[in-house]
Amino acid sequence: MDEITWLERIELFRWPLLSTLCAALVLPSIGAFLLVRRTSFHGIVLPQFAAAGVVFAYAILGWWIETIGLGGLTLEDALHDPHAASTFGLVWGAVFTLGGILLLVLAGRQGGSESARAAAFFATASAAVLVFGRLSPIGRGPVDELLAGEVLGVGLHDFEVQAVAFALSAALLAWFGRDLLLTSYDRDAAIVLGKRATAFEALFHGIVGLAVAAGTLTLGPILVFGLIVVPPLAARPWARSMSGFVTIATVFGVLAAILGEFAALEWDLPLGPSVVLAAALFLAPARLAGRRS
Amino acid sequence: MTDLLRIANASFGYAGRAVISHVDLAVRAGEFLGIVGPNGGGKTTLFRGLLGLVPPLEGRVDRGGARIGYVPQRETLDPIFPLRVEDVVRMGAYGSLSGLRLLTSEQRRAAEHAMERVGLSAHARAGFAGLSGGQRQRALLARALLGSPNVLLLDEPTSGVDRGAQRRILDLLVELNARDGLAVLLVSHQIPLLREAVREVLWVADGRIQRGSATELLAPERLDRLYAAGAAAEDG
Repeated sequence: MDEITWLERIELFRWPLLSTLCAALVLPSIGAFLLVRRTSFHGIVLPQFAAAGVVFAYAILGWWIETIGLGGLTLEDALHDPHAASTFGLVWGAVFTLGGILLLVLAGRQGGSESARAAAFFATASAAVLVFGRLSPIGRGPVDELLAGEVLGVGLHDFEVQAVAFALSAALLAWFGRDLLLTSYDRDAAIVLGKRATAFEALFHGIVGLAVAAGTLTLGPILVFGLIVVPPLAARPWARSMSGFVTIATVFGVLAAILGEFAALEWDLPLGPSVVLAAALFLAPARLAGRRS
Repeated sequence: MTDLLRIANASFGYAGRAVISHVDLAVRAGEFLGIVGPNGGGKTTLFRGLLGLVPPLEGRVDRGGARIGYVPQRETLDPIFPLRVEDVVRMGAYGSLSGLRLLTSEQRRAAEHAMERVGLSAHARAGFAGLSGGQRQRALLARALLGSPNVLLLDEPTSGVDRGAQRRILDLLVELNARDGLAVLLVSHQIPLLREAVREVLWVADGRIQRGSATELLAPERLDRLYAAGAAAEDG
């Protein structure tokens, strides 16, 4: 990388860099809500479900085209058409994510250890990714890249799909944020005040599902769960209000993205894991702030 | 006087099984009712039925005349939420807000007034979770007042707080009841305090309710007899 300038690097990798920044702007705020709802483990498990859905989409792509069809495309066309393949992957990623949310909610109603359930679902989803990956007609390479957070191959279309999904998630979170906060904090009071608590909970799961599926499709599970879990955890001890919490978590996420991107380009490191490690740097001062308060 | 809240021959319960049956109850402006009874007798189910959190299995509940102010047990609220006192109080106005609409200046003033009324103006920007139990309870009372209620429903408002705080909360409730004519219904285990504050009691036990004067239903001899019989039944 020594022979090209920084501007050239940024130009060359603008879509993965922009995609990562976009994720850093949206995912920490979703993670902040997951944290106060004490469901941060969803942020670990759901990207794995989304990854299983994306890989599953590739595994069944040939069969799907043969039996149902995909806009008249052949398997060869579909694999070379970024729109068709990524939309198909996004749909299956979303289906698996929402299925994962449903499983977590249903299992949660039966009581028992939440962390054990989360671990079991994580193990199952991770195994599913590897099994579906073996069946995929595109081979193991793209699956391994997705899982390792090697996202430098992200193109314009991936960015567009992700940006639309993130913009929609962020808009819904902003529009219904007050209702989601009240429902999460005091469900009974929300109902007494005339809010439809169940509908708002379903909406929140939908927002999480959409953002996680789109993020995982483009950036892989490591970056998605890193940005959902780590910046909010680092931000919580500094926060004095919910809006402050979301803002600090987002600032940490964006700073981590910038630092991680710099490290990845400077030292030729995988982008996703570099961002997550950069985010983890904010945890130490957070611990000190927590002790002080 | 018109009924703010009326329950006619209703049963409340879960999964189709009634926990409390044949409830006939009317609440009018200015009433101050204690909801008392042994654990497992149906107090919580009745309370949730009054709030509309548990639909009736049979019978009718009419809340047409009620603007309900709800004060939950403060322990049910998770301290992990980073919220200031004013954030919690302002939640009382969320029922009339949707989307990105901000609180009106009138609603902000009403929130300030509610905090002032419960003696928490100086703590408006303090963290809610960091307050004492009594202060948190008063903040939740201020939140309930923000919706201009005519009925206040409170779940164990004086449990787990020191005697001074208990006194202060009860004095506030008595004032709201006497000065503003608010109907107050509170669930409590603290019989001596209730004896001082309430005129009427709903005694909830074995899935039935009995309404009577506090002097009669909370008489020490009667309670000794009932709780002794309950303990004997549990042992037997």
